[in-house]
Amino acid sequence: MAPFSGRSDRRTGPALASYRFSWRVFDVLEALAAQWPARAMGLVKWFLLLPALLIVGLLIFGLVVMADASFRVMDFRTYQLSEHYSTANYVRLWGWGAFWATLWRSLGAALLVTLICLVLAFPYAWALTRTPNRRLRRVLLVGLFLPFFVGQVVRAYGWLVILGYEGIVNKALAVFGLGPYRLLFSYPAVLFGLVQYMLPFAVLMLMPALAAIPEEIERAAASCGASPLRAVLRVILPMARPGLIAAALVVATLTLTDFAMPAILGGGTNDFLANLVHDQFFRTSNAGLGSAIALVLTFLGTTIAGLLLTRAGTQAFGLRGTS
Amino acid sequence: MASTVVAARGRAGETSAPAVEAQGLARRYGTVWAVHDASFRLERGQFLTILGPSGSGKSTLLKLIAGFERPDRGQLRLFGANMDGVPAHRRPIGMVFQRLALFPHMTAAGNIAFPLEMRRFDPREIPARVARFLKLVRLEGLGDRRPHELSGGQQQRVAIARALVFEPELLLLDEPLASLDVRLKEEMQLEFRRIQRELGVTTINVTHDQREALVLSDRVIVMARGRILQEGDPETVWRNPAHPFVARFLGVGTMLRGQAEPGPAIRIGDRLLPGRAPNPLTAPRPGQPAVAALRAERVRIGTTGALTENGTRLAARVADVVFEGERVLYELVVPELGEAQLRAVDLDPGSHARHRPGAEITVSWSPDDLLLFDASLDPGSDS
Ligand SMILES: Nc1ncnc2c1ncn2[C@@H]1O[C@H](COP(=O)(O)OP(=O)(O)OP(=O)(O)O)[C@@H](O)[C@H]1O
Ligand SMILES: [Mg+2]
Repeated sequence: MAPFSGRSDRRTGPALASYRFSWRVFDVLEALAAQWPARAMGLVKWFLLLPALLIVGLLIFGLVVMADASFRVMDFRTYQLSEHYSTANYVRLWGWGAFWATLWRSLGAALLVTLICLVLAFPYAWALTRTPNRRLRRVLLVGLFLPFFVGQVVRAYGWLVILGYEGIVNKALAVFGLGPYRLLFSYPAVLFGLVQYMLPFAVLMLMPALAAIPEEIERAAASCGASPLRAVLRVILPMARPGLIAAALVVATLTLTDFAMPAILGGGTNDFLANLVHDQFFRTSNAGLGSAIALVLTFLGTTIAGLLLTRAGTQAFGLRGTS
Repeated sequence: MASTVVAARGRAGETSAPAVEAQGLARRYGTVWAVHDASFRLERGQFLTILGPSGSGKSTLLKLIAGFERPDRGQLRLFGANMDGVPAHRRPIGMVFQRLALFPHMTAAGNIAFPLEMRRFDPREIPARVARFLKLVRLEGLGDRRPHELSGGQQQRVAIARALVFEPELLLLDEPLASLDVRLKEEMQLEFRRIQRELGVTTINVTHDQREALVLSDRVIVMARGRILQEGDPETVWRNPAHPFVARFLGVGTMLRGQAEPGPAIRIGDRLLPGRAPNPLTAPRPGQPAVAALRAERVRIGTTGALTENGTRLAARVADVVFEGERVLYELVVPELGEAQLRAVDLDPGSHARHRPGAEITVSWSPDDLLLFDASLDPGSDS
């Protein structure tokens, strides 16, 4: 007998031929699920969480290993980490000027890129969520996702072609008898590349927050006498705060830990902390010092995330609860 | 007073101009005219209710007045000033929205203070004014609460206070009571009337609740499919619906179909029923199909009582009896009118015995109560 034959909510009458295939599939699944002991239902959610827990667990394991390594000194005769623990790596970082310069450069970039991205992403996300014009919305959406198809490294090399000494911009300037200028391998070039890379993330994080603000709220602000500018400043921005904080969180942490943009557009002249970690591991082979820098970087990222989240609460991601 | 309001007035230069003058206002979405050729006039201090079924264009008309939408055609003057190209935030209008639209990140007092700040009131005057309006809507002591910490009725009051606090020339209400339960709704209706009278603000209220319209309004507009079908004072609209749709919407009870005869009268089967055409524009032409509206309360049951001059008396059979508390509704079938269905109410059910289903009774009414219309105007042909 077919598994659905006993159902009382069948609307199709005796015409079994019109019973949809997807209904049959779900009937079978539901019949199977009914066999599952009710007491074991609580286990199901843990089972579903298992892969995620595994991944997070591995990450934490890696961190512990790194923390361990950061307290051992590399012996360059044997290329082995010392057996005993010491704070020598951290002491060395403390007194190392280039490390501090890199740290401030990374933090500064995180701050600047976040601010610029929020300012640029807001109107984009606003237009995307509010335009009644379907074609414009489609164009904006494609523009939003196109960069993801290209990838960070390819895009960075694209900037080389455009901004390089022999690049398009300098050629264009040469027509007017200007230049050539060194546009690449500078802090602004790195920031520029990062903003361009992070903008879609910021827009994506802002969109749900803006879409959640009802149109009636805008009208209410207008009927209170608020000009569009003041409505944005006094009503829309405060209401979009969770989205702004979520966007800031993503952009700031991704920028702080970025590797490719400073490597390619900075060309070694404007390294970030991640580049420093990379150099320690793969150039100088100092896993101890590299681990120490990595740990500092992790600490900075977590602190920024923690600060932003305590400012906003977990509502930044539309979660329930007040903390 | 806020400068924008003064400007709107000053430009007109005449203080006696009506509050609202709409001329041929129209707004189209795609191929559908949400509002079509809407013309009306509202005097200062009056309370107008726009009544109509869902999708009839009530909200769209309100948006045109508030300036949230631009009309495709027509002209709007508020207090004598042409509103062409005047953005919403420069119009002297306070509005209460269907879903209230309180600002969730501000307290109740913050919400009420917002229009004062936006309209550049003297900052020293703001706290006192906020307190005065909190009191007006009976929310003293709740000013520090956020909207989500208030009950539905309290939120409603905050929205009303926010719309009124800057003393707008015109108050727009887009079904702000629709989501409330019946008791709270009636309470808030009376509240509206009290506040509106106290401040004397010209008000346009949108609803599809006919009772609300009758209770609150000085004027009523009935809309259907984007058109204004009738405008008038509530009693006139109630007694003399100008259009069969208006009659249906105000719940007359019975619609009978037949043939128009001079008189005016309507012929149903062999029977000629004299009636009255409330509006010459919608009156049926003799020989053409006609539809007659008969209010259930105007139908007398039983043989008692003298028949008015040329009144109608018919035998009927009780099909169903519905007890509605203060009144009893009878569903009747009239064999002589081709088994047509008829509704009648007994407004004093306690004083005498009730008829049972199947009982043979007599019904009568005055020709003044049988309203005749051109049947081609009537949307519903089913009942
Ligand atoms: N933004 C829009 N885009 C397209 N069509 C719209 C839009 N707004 C309203 N309409 C259409 O215009 C007509 C009138 O809508 P409106 O909101 O004015 O009705 P209403 O009388 O307020 O109804 P309700 O009582 O349900 O609120 C409807 O047919 C509606 O579908
Ligand atoms: Mg509406």
